[in-house]
Amino acid sequence: MLVLAALAVVGVLALYVQRYGGERQPRALYDWQISAFEDLSGADQAVYNALYTSQEEIPYIYDVINRFNEPGELFRWPSLQDLQETLLPPFYHDRSWEQNGSLQWTLHEPLGKGEMQGSVMYLGTGGKLPGQGSFLLVIGHVHAGITNNNALVIWWNPKNEVSMPGSGFQDQLILQGWREVVPYSGDQEVKRLYGDEFEDADQESGEN
Amino acid sequence: MKFTRRFILPALAALMLGHGAAMAAEAKKLKVGITLHPYYSFVTHIVGDRAEVVPLIDADANPHGYAPQPADMIRMRSMDVLVVNGIGHDSWVFEILEAAGMKGKIKLIYANDGVSLIPVAGDSGGAKVVNPHTFISTTAAIQQVYTIARKLGEIDPANAAYYRDNARRYALQIRQLIPAFNAKIAGADLTRFRCATMHSGYDYLLQELGLQVTAVIEPRHGVEPTARQLADTVGRIKAANVNVLFAEKYYASKLSDTIQDATGVKMYSISHISSGPYTQDKFVEEMRENLDTLAAAIHEAAKGS
Repeated sequence: MLVLAALAVVGVLALYVQRYGGERQPRALYDWQISAFEDLSGADQAVYNALYTSQEEIPYIYDVINRFNEPGELFRWPSLQDLQETLLPPFYHDRSWEQNGSLQWTLHEPLGKGEMQGSVMYLGTGGKLPGQGSFLLVIGHVHAGITNNNALVIWWNPKNEVSMPGSGFQDQLILQGWREVVPYSGDQEVKRLYGDEFEDADQESGEN
Repeated sequence: MKFTRRFILPALAALMLGHGAAMAAEAKKLKVGITLHPYYSFVTHIVGDRAEVVPLIDADANPHGYAPQPADMIRMRSMDVLVVNGIGHDSWVFEILEAAGMKGKIKLIYANDGVSLIPVAGDSGGAKVVNPHTFISTTAAIQQVYTIARKLGEIDPANAAYYRDNARRYALQIRQLIPAFNAKIAGADLTRFRCATMHSGYDYLLQELGLQVTAVIEPRHGVEPTARQLADTVGRIKAANVNVLFAEKYYASKLSDTIQDATGVKMYSISHISSGPYTQDKFVEEMRENLDTLAAAIHEAAKGS
């Protein structure tokens, strides 16, 4: 009886550890990728996380500033001044920006030059903190008929000072020492904790 | 038409006002459950008057180590959707789901699905541990607001544009907290500010402000350190000349007094935004208070006290 009770306790503990105490397994990455969670330092992690959320807002600001374009007027992506106006980190200049390295941002904007598609790039470089790298937000702006597709990717370069890449093509960036930064996001942590036991709204609606 | 730069911020807000207002949904209102106080603020801002928001647990219940109550199951059975943290701060919700027989019957929205997570600061040795306090921040909070709005829109397509526009307007409100804080610390010498925290709850906020955490007292959230761990931490605080200790506003611990006595650091209370009445403005109000406390601590540290 005592043995059975001991086995039951061990079983319950094993289930608990499996669910709550299991170690987070680092996500398998290609050698041209790095993990924001594992590989970036505090300040670079802060810059990355701000850039990551800015991916939600930059396309929206793009829509707003081009909403009232007249026929023939060129579309354009948000300028650095626009991003200042909208208080958007990591572009907005304040003490937090200074504390996180004062990265200097520049914009490569093909649309403003009359090109209909190509890579829009926001480059942040020249950080003042020891060991700080450079960041590149690439928006692959591709037209297909009347729709367009904006794929946003964040890259990191261990060099503190870099110049704007000639293109946003992945192979070119990798050859120049850039590494794609991938997040460890909440959905991965939920998967680690609960597997598929508790499905989210996306998965349920996908079944309908 | 040229869009004058100076007017982008007000234009963002103005364009959102009224968008979708003419699309009043006539269908039955969704009943959206939430597990934590910040999610009450987020969701009420997103849904406006087009859905009902229902807290799952009582307002004054401590979500740390919470023991589910029968009333929680009754409340859960009335919900269509439930917004959860899902990464460790409300693990009790899954017990309630099973106990209430609602597993698979209620749509779950994982607020952190799109959040880039960070490790617990000051974690000594071993593998990095995920920090679940994404709601004590501005950037990660905004990311969650967008995620919740998008997923609510998928569940309730008739109101998707309304939810999205409300989310963007609310994000602008949250976004303004940090510049206001930075205006308060203009000119302060930040090199003298060295802080420790009782637990890892403030890592996302401190990181986005560019403020480093020298030591975290609790080895895990809600777990008091052993005598040996405490002695090590006190040693680290003294060695690093830490002058500020941030402790929890709602759940006071004698341990913070012990640290204060042993090291001479000055203690400040920061809100976990996890207790008291559920209100729409609680998140912004308590974040503003937290930032005011941080500003006061920075000014005090700059004096060299």
